[in-house]
Amino acid sequence: MSWRPRRSLALFMLALGAVAAGLARGEIYQEPDAFVAEVFGSKPAPKVLWLTRDIQAQAAAILGHPPAQLRQRYWSDSHRSVWILEEIGKEELITAGFVVVDGRIDHVRVLVYRESRGQEVRTPSFLKQFKEAKLALGDRLDRGIDGIAGATLSVAAIERMARLALFFDRIGRK
Amino acid sequence: MLRLLRRWHARIGFAAMLFFLILAVTGLALNHGPDLGLEGRFVHAEWLARWYGIKSEPPRHVFRSGHHVLAAANGRWLLDGKISGEKLPPPVGLVELADVFVVASNAALYVYRGNGQLIERLGPGALPDSPVQAIGSSARRIVLRTASGVFASADTLSWRRASERSVRWSVPAELSISEQRAYEEALAPGILVEQLLLDLHSGRFAGRYGPLVVDLLALLLVVLSLSGAWLFLVPRMHGGKL
Repeated sequence: MSWRPRRSLALFMLALGAVAAGLARGEIYQEPDAFVAEVFGSKPAPKVLWLTRDIQAQAAAILGHPPAQLRQRYWSDSHRSVWILEEIGKEELITAGFVVVDGRIDHVRVLVYRESRGQEVRTPSFLKQFKEAKLALGDRLDRGIDGIAGATLSVAAIERMARLALFFDRIGRK
Repeated sequence: MLRLLRRWHARIGFAAMLFFLILAVTGLALNHGPDLGLEGRFVHAEWLARWYGIKSEPPRHVFRSGHHVLAAANGRWLLDGKISGEKLPPPVGLVELADVFVVASNAALYVYRGNGQLIERLGPGALPDSPVQAIGSSARRIVLRTASGVFASADTLSWRRASERSVRWSVPAELSISEQRAYEEALAPGILVEQLLLDLHSGRFAGRYGPLVVDLLALLLVVLSLSGAWLFLVPRMHGGKL
């Protein structure tokens, strides 16, 4: 056993333990249910958006990979919609809530963060950049989002989800 | 002197060629991991898991519905013979409705099309309660048993309290030894590709002395650089080319 990669194994097991712990809970800043209830006052019944082939293709173009599931649930009233989306930053899923009002992002909140680094993406100073953002040509945001050193992939994941929330909102209102 | 240096330069270069190639390839792959799509990818091989000292857990049982079979071990699910994903929780059951089937874990439901395509993953917020203790079906409804009671839903969007009567609960089926071996091979634990590359690059893959070998290779690279510079410059200096 002395010639086996002990240190590496210890690190791997440590990482595996951390991953397991993270999977079990993650860093929960707000339960998705509570986020929806906060927006609407109480939690309305969810609606579902089925991702047809065409929607899947457009979602894949936004995400850079095919969407993980074929059905997206959301909550909406006459002018607002709320989307709870998940996207991998580096290795783990980030769960974020997006409130879209009249085709523009009203506010964004990181609800669950499971990565070991990059938690800065949940700070209001970063997330306020998305306020009033809408989709421009090519389903891109109409503005640039300033990155955060050390959280590049998480920033990119939040930006992808913001674009997807705006895209889904547009489709959901048709 | 130059001839001797040239000979040793060539010998060292040739002897270390394979190691330098490994260092170069793993270094390039690590630098461009995201572009190469290596992030979050796993390598699955029993020998590799053994090398890392990771004990492979064989699946103890399977869940069967009318048309679907689910075996799980080492954070992986084998759904109808196809691997369904990584880092998945242990399933508590599998039920099949008309054109979909649903796998339950403690904290989530995974709704699949008949062809195995994931329709939706329902986290705790979308469930009537968690942890889920058991999943079953009754009259074209999915039924969940939780600590706070039994709930049923026809569409997984809204849940109502229900009775346990006439519910067919999903129960695990024992595996024969041969089935267990076959599933174990398919569900071998994985090593992150980036972890593997890093260990190959640093030498840690080879164990305690691996990093020392890489240190030696670094020294050899220094020797090759200096001897190469010497072989390049000295003849020119003597030839008055500088």
